[in-house]
Amino acid sequence: MAESYAETAYSRGCEFTQGSGYALPEYPFREPPEIASGQPGHHEIVIVGGGITGLTMACALAQYGIGAVLLDEDNTVGAKGASSRGICYTQKSLEIFQRLGIYERIAAKGIQWSVGRTFAGEDEVYSFDLRQQGAFNLSTQPPFINIQQFYIEAYLVERIYELGNVDLRWRNRVTAFEQNNECATLTVSTPAGDYQLRADHVIDATGCHSPFRQWLGAAVTARKGDDRWCIADVRFSKHPPVERHTWIEAPFNDNRAVWQHLMGDNVWRIDYQMAPDSDPAEVSRAEVVRERLVRQFGADCEVEIVWVGPYAYRSECVERMRHGRVFFMGDAAKVVSPFGARGGNTGISDADNLAWKLAAVMKGRAAPGLLESYHEERHEAAQQNVKVTARTARFLRPATAVEKLFRTATLSLARQYVFARQLVNTGRMAIANPYTRSSACEPTGGLSVQNVAFEWPDGSRGTVNDLLRWADGRLLVLVFGSASAAALQRLAGLGAIAPVRAVQVLGADDSPGAAEWIRDPKDHLQGACHVFGHAWALLRPDSYVAATGESVDATLVHAVGRALGTALEEEETA
Amino acid sequence: MKTQLNFQDADAFYEQLLDAHQDLSAEQSELLNARLVLILANQVGDAKVLKECVAAARQFPG
Repeated sequence: MAESYAETAYSRGCEFTQGSGYALPEYPFREPPEIASGQPGHHEIVIVGGGITGLTMACALAQYGIGAVLLDEDNTVGAKGASSRGICYTQKSLEIFQRLGIYERIAAKGIQWSVGRTFAGEDEVYSFDLRQQGAFNLSTQPPFINIQQFYIEAYLVERIYELGNVDLRWRNRVTAFEQNNECATLTVSTPAGDYQLRADHVIDATGCHSPFRQWLGAAVTARKGDDRWCIADVRFSKHPPVERHTWIEAPFNDNRAVWQHLMGDNVWRIDYQMAPDSDPAEVSRAEVVRERLVRQFGADCEVEIVWVGPYAYRSECVERMRHGRVFFMGDAAKVVSPFGARGGNTGISDADNLAWKLAAVMKGRAAPGLLESYHEERHEAAQQNVKVTARTARFLRPATAVEKLFRTATLSLARQYVFARQLVNTGRMAIANPYTRSSACEPTGGLSVQNVAFEWPDGSRGTVNDLLRWADGRLLVLVFGSASAAALQRLAGLGAIAPVRAVQVLGADDSPGAAEWIRDPKDHLQGACHVFGHAWALLRPDSYVAATGESVDATLVHAVGRALGTALEEEETA
Repeated sequence: MKTQLNFQDADAFYEQLLDAHQDLSAEQSELLNARLVLILANQVGDAKVLKECVAAARQFPG
């Protein structure tokens, strides 16, 4: 039984899926040139897997002007069948998609929400409004948007076609892999025959059933539970509020947990906790699902079941994100329970993290050593996400009588006292993970910068993403406040020896000194960069600060070198 | 973690604790204890002290 659940664990497989499904786009298969020529092609970067992670990687590389080949085993987005998979995208992911040029489409199709409510039995025990929280209120993107994952994937595909640079190869399945000092070699199977590809770098974005783990002998830390869930994506005549509702003990689900959330197209995701070790085929049968929905919404509610998928808790993390030429990302690197939307969103950030680094190395702007920081940073994020989701899983499925006792105590206290609400753990929403042990960041850096607004010299509105696009894959030094002539000269010198663009950020009344300057009248940009007063912030293309500091001196030069995986030496100034 | 006496009135607290459990079923007593642990833990707050307290409670004398 556990095996069949593993196969359906929130990813590609959908042998038990039911429902009327979604109409998904189909993309054309074209015979790869290697088949006719009989010669293996050589590419700098090959991405395997066209899910949200692989496509984000491909789109980011295309935007940086870097060529790549993407191999996907089918000819559509979404899982085979008609899956919807992930639904909830964080502010950081939305900011990344804004930079890639698909945010407007996501915002138009998706549903914005910021209020979450948690119930036990009939009572609300806890609620939050993310818009009221300081961590979310500066960005020009909302805290979250809910949308079916395949929409984002389809927007990415169209954007990649628009940008060029990346060759999307549909119905190309990788069947074998090897690597040596020269290159990696992939054997690929297609409807027109098999061929081989050689690559300098391989991105494994094949999801939780990654064949690369075995091909590489990659060590994986794994944990499996007996908890079972069953998703029902439905349209119905009732219109619940646009909020995340969570029941820890739902009277209409045998006192087990239930999630309720709206997505695009008026489709609601209702996620039911099942009895431990229950049979996936049985719990996802259409009649059984319908009965559950009737118990929750009443017999008078008309329900169209769009998609049904059972899954089991599963927690996995590779020990190394990089094996020679191969980089693991997304679910290929780690699998977590869906609580807090820490799966897909982590994959998007994995891709954004590696894309700028690979692009910088390809363009000769950074040392190959920089690529090691991908493991340092994203493995820290993966481990953190595994830890956080495991805590939620433990709250929602107490393993022993005493674990259940403490949950009962917590819920009863949460009804009475504010402090206990913090112990109620129905999922901690994904954040932009901080990096505390990266060789590419100083201890002052490693934090994400929100996409806040500022004023261009002509008074029009700009955002951090506009600056990053202008920097085009280079580092960005923001110098806040007035700067001395010596500091400005040093900045100019830095621009001559390193791929860095410098911008002076002025308050409402400061006079410009540098060639490039903007105004930050409300100090939002300063706040987003985690600095105060006269300071500098070194921004990376993934909108993380690599370092911050006070005066423009050797510490900045050192930080620039570190962020590029090298040691910089300033030229003697006359 | 304090290991020296910190109670203002240890005997009175002990009595209150026992009184609180009077007339409760074993199940209710368990719940009371769990609630009390969480309430007291929030009074302490400090993560390091809490960690030491949990570890100390697990160290049963031989």
